[in-house]
Amino acid sequence: MAFEATDRSELRSKLEEYGESGDKALRDEIVASQVGLAEYLARRFKNRGEPIEDLIQVALLGLLKAVERFDPGRGLEFSTFATPTIVGELKRHFRDKGWAVRVPRRVQELHLRMGTVVNNLSQELGRSPTIPEIAQRAEVSVDEVLEAMEAGRAYRFSSIDAPAGDDDDRAPSPAAAQLGEDDTGLEEVEQRMLLSPLIASLPKREQMIIHLRFFRGMTQSEIAARLGISQMHVSRLLARSLAQLRDRAGAEAAPG
Amino acid sequence: MMGEGQERETRGEALGRGGDVRLVVPAAPEYLRLVRLTAAGLASRLGFTFDEVEDLRIAVDELCFHLLGDVDDDPAAEPRTMDLTYSAGDDFITITGRTGLTGPVPQPSDLSEQILDALVDEHEVSGDDGEITFRLKKQRES
Repeated sequence: MAFEATDRSELRSKLEEYGESGDKALRDEIVASQVGLAEYLARRFKNRGEPIEDLIQVALLGLLKAVERFDPGRGLEFSTFATPTIVGELKRHFRDKGWAVRVPRRVQELHLRMGTVVNNLSQELGRSPTIPEIAQRAEVSVDEVLEAMEAGRAYRFSSIDAPAGDDDDRAPSPAAAQLGEDDTGLEEVEQRMLLSPLIASLPKREQMIIHLRFFRGMTQSEIAARLGISQMHVSRLLARSLAQLRDRAGAEAAPG
Repeated sequence: MMGEGQERETRGEALGRGGDVRLVVPAAPEYLRLVRLTAAGLASRLGFTFDEVEDLRIAVDELCFHLLGDVDDDPAAEPRTMDLTYSAGDDFITITGRTGLTGPVPQPSDLSEQILDALVDEHEVSGDDGEITFRLKKQRES
């Protein structure tokens, strides 16, 4: 990204002016003039399973933060300052949402595709399908199916499934619980969840899944049907819940 | 082309008593993936359903995780390993394991107990021979 010297000095004087005035219109003007930088950096993160439009939005948010935080007095070029801020925002996006970057694209795709395959086969067969049946329907090998099942552990959940508060929030009100799942027996779950305060620290939907699977003995496919989500999603949520319970049990056991 | 009888025999050898699968891994969480994959691979060959394979994966992970023990502080110490044997019956799998740990038998939490009860048909941890060992069994439904 090369800028003409006049552009650079114009940008610098605008940034200085914004630093003093805090004029939002000026800020937006600066952001608009630097959209190219944001798009350029966003494209470096394509082919990782996230739509480019989303990545550009994330990069623009990073750009906005860079404009807010830039200190002209330090003598840095704006692009030198903004690039790590924008890249940091993009990396955080991949950490918080979508997939951990290390899961190969084809495994991610198969994992997501298996959600539909497993659901369809379960309905057609009236039972949970075997792994060879899934492999045949998905036109992949058994080993690929097993690998895709494992991949669920590396899935990063969108914020809709995360506790609304901190990780340490003991009385969470997760976004998902506010989306009309009251008819699935959550109150009853709350009454029975006396066993472990750890479980109560999980998002409501995960409490529900833990309860149905481990305390009521429902299968994953039955839970999926009851909650109206795919079995792969139940599988991912269970894996995540158990990992969180371990983390928290470990934290409570640790001295101090 | 193998005849059906011959094929069954071959499969029996691969999966039967003589064809146990043994896996020895360092006693560290990052190797539980191999522990799970091996269980899932064997279960899928026995015709376990997706539900059952999932249960077995979670169960063996849950049990092994709690038996990993503390990380050895002494870097010079021989790294501890887990030694697992996966045995296939006609319609069940048993997984037995030696943890390399000695001392009192770790008591699983109530929750852990509940989880394993729901997922597998039998599970136990014992320390009869001086070493902590475990065993779990999962039956295929149909």
